[in-house]
Amino acid sequence: MRADARSLLDRLGKNDFSYKEFADRFSDLELWPLFEALLKDPRLFQQEVVATTHADMPADLPAAAPVIPATATPTLAGARPAEPTPPAERAPAPSGAETLADLFSRYEAGAGGSTRHGDDVRAMLRRLSELDARGEL
Amino acid sequence: MPMIVCHSPKGGAGTTFLAAHIALGLSEMEAGQGTAGDVTLLTLSPYDSMPLHFGLQPAQRLPALGTPADAAVLAAGIGLYSEPDAAQDARLIDMLADEGFLTPTGERVLIVDVPAGDRLVARRLIRHATVHVCPLTASPDCVALLPQVLEDTETSGAGETAFVIGRLDETKRLARHVAAFSREILGSRLVAKIRQDQSVPEAIAMLQVLSRYAPSSAALADAQAAAQAIGAMIASARGGEETPAAEETASPGAALAKPSTSRAA
Repeated sequence: MRADARSLLDRLGKNDFSYKEFADRFSDLELWPLFEALLKDPRLFQQEVVATTHADMPADLPAAAPVIPATATPTLAGARPAEPTPPAERAPAPSGAETLADLFSRYEAGAGGSTRHGDDVRAMLRRLSELDARGEL
Repeated sequence: MPMIVCHSPKGGAGTTFLAAHIALGLSEMEAGQGTAGDVTLLTLSPYDSMPLHFGLQPAQRLPALGTPADAAVLAAGIGLYSEPDAAQDARLIDMLADEGFLTPTGERVLIVDVPAGDRLVARRLIRHATVHVCPLTASPDCVALLPQVLEDTETSGAGETAFVIGRLDETKRLARHVAAFSREILGSRLVAKIRQDQSVPEAIAMLQVLSRYAPSSAALADAQAAAQAIGAMIASARGGEETPAAEETASPGAALAKPSTSRAA
């Protein structure tokens, strides 16, 4: 490490820098078709079910993270993503909220039973945006 | 002796670096606890760079397992060994068992660094491992392998699988997005990320261990966090109390459950 960087870190009382680009929006994830293609692979969804059924979630994820409101995905499949709504404007999860396990169980049911793939992908991306906005990602 | 197998589906994920620093971290944790346990690091790569991560000379050759103690190579209290022909050795598992390396509740820990290309020998070892550490890169070609990797972990027979994102360059938008996507998919099975850090190759070029060359290295701090998470998983497998040092990162490790068990639940 260069001496000037070391000096700055010492003055800041830190050991290293952590890069942060505040303008980053994880709704941009949808710009990468690879992610959407991967989310259509049932092997991934089976594993997601396993991951979300663990009793202990990572400490940096909110307890409500696995819950996706079933009615909170108004964007039509194939449309470009809308700007993420500020967290304060979002309605709380309804009592009939759908867990990720349920969500991906529908994926496992096959293409015939998954007419809302586009919406579900957007719901996941929106959740990433929310976590990022709260600095929890 | 619990066995930790470090194997990535893609080369260049920093597997050897991670294996070395898991060994260093576990060795320090054991020393901090005052336990009598020790750590052994075995590399199966025929083109081995493991000694460089311990500040050893590039000409340093590592002995085979079972080598008499006077010919062993010790670095930071860790026994370093090499079995470059393991892929062709049908007796590998038997040999490890004979050496007492396959007892999950033992005090000693064996860490095996398996080259990415040796998938078959990796699968043979992972079946007997307490933890399979799977380093990934935050690159699209690596994340595209996730479905296959996850399917493999379902049937691998490993006690636990811990994913680590290596060489993460957070200044690159795509790398951040791939890391976020991977984390969303892997959940608590993603136990750590290792930031890209120029200090790592610089330490190798200086023939020094990273902790001496750059004590404030970001990659070093990340690797130590990964080692603590793995240590917590080993402690859990041993059935003992988790160490205070490991408790901070115990959640990711403790949350990892054998996939088949979780599915059944």
